[in-house]
Amino acid sequence: MRTTALRRKLIYLVAMLAMLVPLFLLGQPSSGSGDSGGQLTEMRNRFNIAESDLGEISPASETMKLASLGMRGVAATLLWNKAHHYKVAHEWDRYKATLNNISLLQPHFDKVWEHQAHNLAYNVSTEFDDYRQRYEMVREGTEFLSKGVRQNRNAPRLVWYTGWFYGSKMGMSDEKIQFRKLFSDDEVLHEKLLEEGIAVDSPEARGPYFKPDNWLVGRLWLRNGYDLVDSGVKIRRQTPLNFYETGPKWRIKHAEAIEDEGVLDERAQNAWQMAAQDWQEFGERSVPTTAAFTIKLGQLDELVRLKALRLEEFRKLTGEEMPGIENQWQPDLIPYAKKAAPEDRMRAMELADQIMDIEERRVKTEGYRNQINYPYWDTLTQAEQEERTVKARRLIYEAEKANEEAELDKAIELYEQAFAVWAEIFDDYPILTVDDSAEDLMRSIRRYSVAIDSEELADDFPLAAFVEMMGTYDQVSSEAYELVRKTQKERAEKRKQELAEQERERERQAAEEMEREREARQKMKEKTEATKMADEPDKEEASADEANADEPMDNEAEVDEPAAEEDTEDQEVMPVVEEVTPDAEVQSELESSL
Amino acid sequence: MTLQPEDFWSFYEWLFRPNAFLESALLQGIVLFVLAILLGLMVGYVISAARYGPSEGFYAVARVVRDLVRFDLPGTSPRRIVALARLAFKEAIRRKVLFVVGLFVVGLLLAGWYLNPESDDPARLYISFVLTATNYLILALALFISAFSLPADIKSKTIYTIVTKPVRATEIVLGRMLGFVAVGTMMLIPMGFASYLFVTRGIRHTHLEVTEVQELSSGRLEGETDYIAGHRHTFSIDPDSGGRGLTDMVRGHRHYVIRDEEGNFEIGPVADALKARIPSYGDIQFYDRQGNPQDAGIDVGNEKIAEGYGNAGISRLVGVAKGPRRIEHGYVEGGTLGMAEFTFHNVDANQYPIRIPLDMSIRAYRSYKGDIETGIRGSITLKHPTKPIRSVPITFYVDEYTVDEQTIPLRIEPDVSDAASEEMLAGLVDEKDGTVDVFDAFVDEQGDMIVQIRCLDSSQYLGVTKSGVYLRAGENSFAWNLTKAYISIWLQMTMVIAFGVMFSTFLSGPVAMVATFVCVLLGFSAEQVYDTRYYIDAGIERGGGPIESMIRILKQDAMTTQFDVDEVAGKVIKTVDAGIVYSLDAIATALPNLPKMVGTAEYAASGFDIFGALLGRHAAATLGYCILAFLVSYFFLKSREIAA
Repeated sequence: MRTTALRRKLIYLVAMLAMLVPLFLLGQPSSGSGDSGGQLTEMRNRFNIAESDLGEISPASETMKLASLGMRGVAATLLWNKAHHYKVAHEWDRYKATLNNISLLQPHFDKVWEHQAHNLAYNVSTEFDDYRQRYEMVREGTEFLSKGVRQNRNAPRLVWYTGWFYGSKMGMSDEKIQFRKLFSDDEVLHEKLLEEGIAVDSPEARGPYFKPDNWLVGRLWLRNGYDLVDSGVKIRRQTPLNFYETGPKWRIKHAEAIEDEGVLDERAQNAWQMAAQDWQEFGERSVPTTAAFTIKLGQLDELVRLKALRLEEFRKLTGEEMPGIENQWQPDLIPYAKKAAPEDRMRAMELADQIMDIEERRVKTEGYRNQINYPYWDTLTQAEQEERTVKARRLIYEAEKANEEAELDKAIELYEQAFAVWAEIFDDYPILTVDDSAEDLMRSIRRYSVAIDSEELADDFPLAAFVEMMGTYDQVSSEAYELVRKTQKERAEKRKQELAEQERERERQAAEEMEREREARQKMKEKTEATKMADEPDKEEASADEANADEPMDNEAEVDEPAAEEDTEDQEVMPVVEEVTPDAEVQSELESSL
Repeated sequence: MTLQPEDFWSFYEWLFRPNAFLESALLQGIVLFVLAILLGLMVGYVISAARYGPSEGFYAVARVVRDLVRFDLPGTSPRRIVALARLAFKEAIRRKVLFVVGLFVVGLLLAGWYLNPESDDPARLYISFVLTATNYLILALALFISAFSLPADIKSKTIYTIVTKPVRATEIVLGRMLGFVAVGTMMLIPMGFASYLFVTRGIRHTHLEVTEVQELSSGRLEGETDYIAGHRHTFSIDPDSGGRGLTDMVRGHRHYVIRDEEGNFEIGPVADALKARIPSYGDIQFYDRQGNPQDAGIDVGNEKIAEGYGNAGISRLVGVAKGPRRIEHGYVEGGTLGMAEFTFHNVDANQYPIRIPLDMSIRAYRSYKGDIETGIRGSITLKHPTKPIRSVPITFYVDEYTVDEQTIPLRIEPDVSDAASEEMLAGLVDEKDGTVDVFDAFVDEQGDMIVQIRCLDSSQYLGVTKSGVYLRAGENSFAWNLTKAYISIWLQMTMVIAFGVMFSTFLSGPVAMVATFVCVLLGFSAEQVYDTRYYIDAGIERGGGPIESMIRILKQDAMTTQFDVDEVAGKVIKTVDAGIVYSLDAIATALPNLPKMVGTAEYAASGFDIFGALLGRHAAATLGYCILAFLVSYFFLKSREIAA
């Protein structure tokens, strides 16, 4: 009996030793130098998925994973169930604690970070009644996501998602006014963001009141993502088009937001200019597509021109007219190429290939442009950055305010001025009739007709055509929209030329003015040399004031329009801005005269 | 925390459940006892009959019963019990169980990684962590030490030397149980101290400086402290208070602020963070928007937790009581006659000498956003239970997810808008300020007073529960409350030890441990078993019993769809499942309600006093189960002696 027991034990021992061998080959940890370590270590190095490659190492996470004794999946499942239970029971503290524990067990599962951050910021935050507690929950969500970003350096989607939160949750929710204000005052969060590498104190992140703006900070996050992808990390689980589009979009949203809040001066113009810049930069970016090539959204015109050129050459070689071939979808040119003269056939085939390639790219580019409505945003940013548009918006804003305060005469006057300017804008940029602001404009027109106490609008009402186009549902019909899209391009070109003309005119006038002044000064000098009368400062100030007639007026008008919460800040900031400009002008005039 | 119906019963109510005796604990205990004894006797008879034949077997069983009643119970000597207890104690210590305390301390040290001091209520998080950790560790300890001792004795045959001492079986069992309880107690005490230190140290922090201060025209100073541990306080110092002031309540605590003559500010340590409120709950009655009484408030659609079956006792097992009975938040509609009326008892001047503190945990629900920055307003009105006398309303803004501490002053202005009330108030109203004494005007002869909670904003809703609004009759010390929580853990440990010893009398060591573990696990999953049984009874598709669930998982079907197998197989599966679930249900009802006992920690964590009846209930249940375990162990030990 004893020998069988001994034999059994020996067999067990041998079996254990035998199993140790493959275990060692597979699982030996690396001893630090290059190729050491078993197969698993080697694979980890090859695919860059060792803990240190993926992101920040968290000792708490490793401990917890070890402590689960191989049942990490079971532990994680139980924790997810518990988290849901706490959420239903409204136990927020324990819910957050459980989420932290889940992230310790599954730090490299992107969905954990995304899903739970979304949960915190979107679902849990709405359970609170107090908007400040809601904001705190949104902040918890974004901080949770930042933790995920630190531990997953190769996950651009997480970075994008963080930028998305800062923009969409804080800037598009019902509480957006309150959230935006709370964010701009949240110095603790700003410091944390600085540690994450987001330049919250740079001018790029600051809004009109020199405090960080959530849209712009979101954009900085998105740009971090873009840098990450540019440095070679692949975009996973997201369409590249959508990934790249959001950055410039946030600038556009920022400009819209500050205009909504009542900032309707050159700060808004500046914001729109930056947005236009960003959008055009986006147009120059190589976006990977589902085809084998990348495209640039802004290069549609270039492709069309190139195609026309090649087609010309092709036509010459083959002698075929091929009417309407430009409008055919993916035409097959090879049969035509075969009709060319033998010595030209080579070139003709080449051209046919090239044309088909360009056509593919053109189709892709146009498709992608349509997906995100690229031309619309392009035109919008151009249109919005004009002083005229900002002025029109300002007039409407003031008209609405006057209307609310029951100053009907003032309101009617401002409305009429505004509508005249808007009519001009729509002439040059009919695409704006499809914008959200067009619907707001319809409502303003309604309020105007209530103010003038008449359903019928005057015959020479400047926006008559617009009202008709909007129809009964306050929405532009799709055929009108198509027409508008087609004509928009020519109009935009025309408008650009007009603006250039105006600029030249202004410069010419300014030059003439300066010439006149110089001559006047000469005369004055001769006069003072003759009479020694000190009339100069008055005359010069008068002329200086005339030249700057428009600007101070605009600035003073702005003092009256602070948004609801930003009262105190407005009063503080605005006078400073207002006083600086005329003084400087007068100063410089004085200096130049002396 | 939202208390459930069973948390409001006094000890007498829990034991007897007047008007609902079928649900009482007494009935449950009696049924358990009787069934256990009957079952035990039957099983014993069957086994002895198998060994010795039917009539011999019957005599064997009868002999055991006679031995118990005539010799062993009366002859049990406390001296021998103590001697055996000391033996068990030494044996356990020798098995190095003290390392559990070391494990606990290590756990506390590492807890810092997993507990976030910047949470909204760190005291609550810390206390519940510490109590839950202790609870589970002690239960595990109880499992281990109780399950291995007797089988080891039996295997090494040293049991014979003990039994022939002469030591009665009763003494062996009791001695073991007592010894292990002593070991556990010895470990629980340092763990208790360590927990207390951990909690007080964990929430301790100081604000070092005052970042901004301004003096108002009235001489009052208002300012802000610096940002430490994720929060800052605002404070105010009244001009005539001698430079002493208080901060506001942030994250469940406040600080004292002292300003000396030179103008330096000193911020004191954390105060008011750890408390044990003694609430005086009232009866709740909801009224709908027309002012008609309703059974429950408006349901705004919050997701419900599927729990609350257990409090129905035996009546649920036999199918009389159906469905979960759980208190959820009931909402009252704003801007209408809807309200929640609380009738408080024992309201008298001795209880509340300075003011009547009214604590509220209220939720808000908006049916439209409205003014985002202003909270929803509610009002508190006092009313006499029978006479139409009411007070002027006290308005408040809803403060969600904290305990909002409101005050009802001792003198308040009455509502004299109609003639009837004016008549009744004649003589009570003070000429000078028009106020009445609350106890004179609104409290009736039995000491009852009504407090009405209304929502003032139209189309918005306030959510209350019976335990959400109460009069704070006093406060106990936190240390004593923590001790009571530890007593509850001690009771659980005793119960598990009793079970462990019981199983170890007829099972080998590891198997006994597994059996005890299964009992504990089943105790924790009892509500889920009840839930499954409820849906099977009601005929609603909710995944069904074990076999049906397994098939659904493998076929990747949802819980609520029709069971997709052919008719006959479906019927068979459902019947077998019903059988399994019913037997699990019976076993789960028989087992102690451990989740409820673990839930005592919730009281300590949320800052509520663990009232005497709660501990009394736990103690009664523990006593009952220990006696049962003792009897079963005795029988099995005796039968083994006979066999051996």
